[in-house]
Amino acid sequence: MDVAKYAALFLAESREHLSSCNQLLLEWEQDPAAADALGGLFRSIHTIKGMGATMGFTGVAELAHRMENLLDALRHGLVTVDVGTFQLLFQAVDALGRAVEDAAAGREGGSDAALTVALEAAAGGPPEGVADVATLVEGKRQHRRSTDAPRGRSVLIVIRGDAVMRGARAILAVRRAETLGVVSAVRPSLAQLEREEFDGRLAIRMESRASDEELAAIIRTAGEVEAVRFEEPSSWATAEPERHRQIRIDLDRLDRLMKQVGELIVAKNQLGVMAARSDDPPLTELSDRITRLVSGMQAEVIASRMTPVGEVFERFPRLVRDLSRDLGKRIRFDVEGEDIELDRSILDEIGDPLLHLIRNAADHGIEAPDVRQQAGKSAEGRILLAATRERNSVTLRVSDDGRGIDRAALLAKVRREGQSDATPETLSDDDVLRVIARPGFSTAATVSGVSGRGVGVDVAMTRVRALGGTLEIRSEAGRGTTFLIRVPLTLAIVRALLAEAGGERYAVPLAYVAETVEFDPRAVTALRNREALVVREQVLPTVHLRDLVNAGGRPAPARRPTVILEVGERRTALVVDALLGQQDIVVAPFDAPRGMPPYVGGATILADGAPALVLDAAALL
Amino acid sequence: MREILPRLPATRIPGVVEAIEGLVNVRGTLLTVLDGHVLLSQPRRAEDEGAIVVVEVGSRRYGLGVAQVVDFLEVPEHSIAERADLPGIDARLVKAVGIRDGVHFIVLDIDALVAPIIGT
Repeated sequence: MDVAKYAALFLAESREHLSSCNQLLLEWEQDPAAADALGGLFRSIHTIKGMGATMGFTGVAELAHRMENLLDALRHGLVTVDVGTFQLLFQAVDALGRAVEDAAAGREGGSDAALTVALEAAAGGPPEGVADVATLVEGKRQHRRSTDAPRGRSVLIVIRGDAVMRGARAILAVRRAETLGVVSAVRPSLAQLEREEFDGRLAIRMESRASDEELAAIIRTAGEVEAVRFEEPSSWATAEPERHRQIRIDLDRLDRLMKQVGELIVAKNQLGVMAARSDDPPLTELSDRITRLVSGMQAEVIASRMTPVGEVFERFPRLVRDLSRDLGKRIRFDVEGEDIELDRSILDEIGDPLLHLIRNAADHGIEAPDVRQQAGKSAEGRILLAATRERNSVTLRVSDDGRGIDRAALLAKVRREGQSDATPETLSDDDVLRVIARPGFSTAATVSGVSGRGVGVDVAMTRVRALGGTLEIRSEAGRGTTFLIRVPLTLAIVRALLAEAGGERYAVPLAYVAETVEFDPRAVTALRNREALVVREQVLPTVHLRDLVNAGGRPAPARRPTVILEVGERRTALVVDALLGQQDIVVAPFDAPRGMPPYVGGATILADGAPALVLDAAALL
Repeated sequence: MREILPRLPATRIPGVVEAIEGLVNVRGTLLTVLDGHVLLSQPRRAEDEGAIVVVEVGSRRYGLGVAQVVDFLEVPEHSIAERADLPGIDARLVKAVGIRDGVHFIVLDIDALVAPIIGT
């Protein structure tokens, strides 16, 4: 058995079980009377023990075994569960997680003696069966021999459907069979057994002196074998198992594929321009066909990278539970929209900002139980993490029902720095965010205990902006605070509107374009001393692109289109000289020079090969 | 120094210093090009074809727009002297000076040249 390969599988499956252990422990802790979680916990720990023993990771198997003893004692009512038990189980799950990681990395460490003792004590005495773990590992090596004349036959082996590491079991079964004869063929092939789609059914052809019964017995020692049947060679062809249509793919490979598709799109765009210029119908036709093929391919590649946000969300319940313990608060943590999907690369980056915001909500948002009760709220605070899908973006919301931001205190701090003439009444949510998202905005000395926001908000803001997303805040004193993170569904390839101003071209991502209208000079008005446009009875702040980018060139034409940008509920009108249509653009990295304005979100190469800047709509609002 | 490219049309970046000419497309990747004339306060001449010298500073690449590439020199250590004050050139940009065939040349300090304008 190829240990390195199975170590990866062992690690992946153990991690899933450990994650579900954390989940189950959290549920159980909420309602210690309900023992539903106990069964699930027992199964997960038992599975990890089994996998650990199969792999020969005795440290993992032993720790899991001790946990199992405690869970078993709990299950049979020999000991009762209390606060200490939960803490111990959480600790043990963490320790088991470390043991699993170490074992899979090939450096099995020593066991945690204190934890072992604590687990034994909690289970009501030393466990009865430490020795049987060794037996479990050793027992897999036994085999017998027979002296009958060799006889060829086909053997159909079925590994239990709920068995973990079916592939490893199957290979083990083949190896066991080999101890009694010569195996001449295995179907599916040994390599296919290692794949995910292997459903547990395999057939082998072998020569052996042993009886069917002896063979079946030795094969069954591999463990998790549901059935062993001996069949006529004619049935060999029909033994091909049904396949599950899923495989695991290395993320780097998907990244490279995405990059290639991005380059393909740039090339396709250039081909389109050349074909249009050529006045050559067959070339135009071919270019159109390639365009459709590339679009289809792009959609498939993007779809293959989409991953449910639940994968990132699942680590937070445990975080909030630990935080509320440390802070002496009572916090209920709810999650919504776990199945909403995001591009893998965005998902990888979004965990950190969420972590900061959730930690903030628990630390500074939610009040201590007595404070809450004095304010007429329930003693238990609530933090909600929710994902919702919008047109071309996903919104992640972190809300708490805590104290909200104390604008007066915030203003006092800002005023000391001599920066504002606003009053608590006129300080908008945007202003609040601008203050607390300042790098190094300190809560320690002045605002902490009053409103106490800010730590980590600058980090979250920077990360989210780097993803082409936006961060917003809504806060009401005494009622709570909500942070809204809005991120694009996918990075890299963006549908954009090309706009011209003063002879220069700029790309505006369509995700933030609500509509385009004709600029009407009669609709110009003023909003807080700034130019504004009345569009559909709404007064929108207005930006002229040619003024913004300081473009020279010809004077602005009389008829001008206006792009209405929209981020969340905020809208702004962007007046441009002309619109040049839509294009899929690949946002390319480049080293931003010093002084580059915030409204430049990146750059791209247009269909004709010329570079163009991509406008960041969020920075224009 | 990495390579020499012909002059390419640059896309202006608003709001940045004059010494940044803009972005150019080099075989599908974007390169920020600096204007050598502005950096070294030299006048532009109509007869110059122009070229872009790609330089590497740290892990980043920049293009340096120049009037023309005259020659490649392999300079023996002893033929160059420590930098000296030269009329019309910011002494901080000069790494060393030398002479070849009776003509003076300057070895530019590329790091110092791009330092004030590259991003963080």
